[in-house]
Amino acid sequence: MKYDETELRVRFNEVDSWGMVWHGHYTAWFEVGRMALLRKFRLLPQDFAQMGYLAPVVELKCSFKEPARLDEEILLRTSIRKPTKAALTFIFQAWRKKDGKLLASGEETQVLLARDGRMLYYLPPDLKERLTPLFAYLEEPESAA
Amino acid sequence: MAEDLVLELKRLIIDTLKLEDITPEDIEDEGPLFGGGLGLDSIDALELVVALEKKYKVFIPDSEVGKKVFRSVKALAEFVKAQRA
Repeated sequence: MKYDETELRVRFNEVDSWGMVWHGHYTAWFEVGRMALLRKFRLLPQDFAQMGYLAPVVELKCSFKEPARLDEEILLRTSIRKPTKAALTFIFQAWRKKDGKLLASGEETQVLLARDGRMLYYLPPDLKERLTPLFAYLEEPESAA
Repeated sequence: MAEDLVLELKRLIIDTLKLEDITPEDIEDEGPLFGGGLGLDSIDALELVVALEKKYKVFIPDSEVGKKVFRSVKALAEFVKAQRA
């Protein structure tokens, strides 16, 4: 699986009284990674809204491997599963750049609502069309061997 | 025939959603599938929609239709039967 990458630094307000990044901040970091990926394909929340859709998160999973600490450089990797149903599942990883250690990994699933609040059970054609280049971007290149 | 379809749908629900500790006898024919009863959620609805389309070629486009169709297994069976006719 291929990932899109973006980076950030741990901020003072993200560190708890034990000197580690508080677990709740990883959700916001995953959001940074997701926005960086979606921005490339005009699929930010405002783009969804313009097409007439909302995409609320219905499931969030995260496991924490190693603590991150103040001012560390973090590499965020984001990918998305090719959907088998009308839901978008993003996959996230947070790595410490200094030593290449995986700090946390998780996934988040969003469903689709129309403006009137109906949950859509199929991906609409206009959204599928916008997602196609995103999936192509994240596909692993074929091996030359 | 209708009873067979209700039983078939119960098995489809159990298999699709991997409800390991549930048997068809545990699912009431007229009990709610969502918000109580089996306690299914929105992602479960999506899984069921895909499974129902695959097996019965029925199309449930959104939660507006889903609200009626998923009211109970009996309601779902009536919907599938009507779509097949």
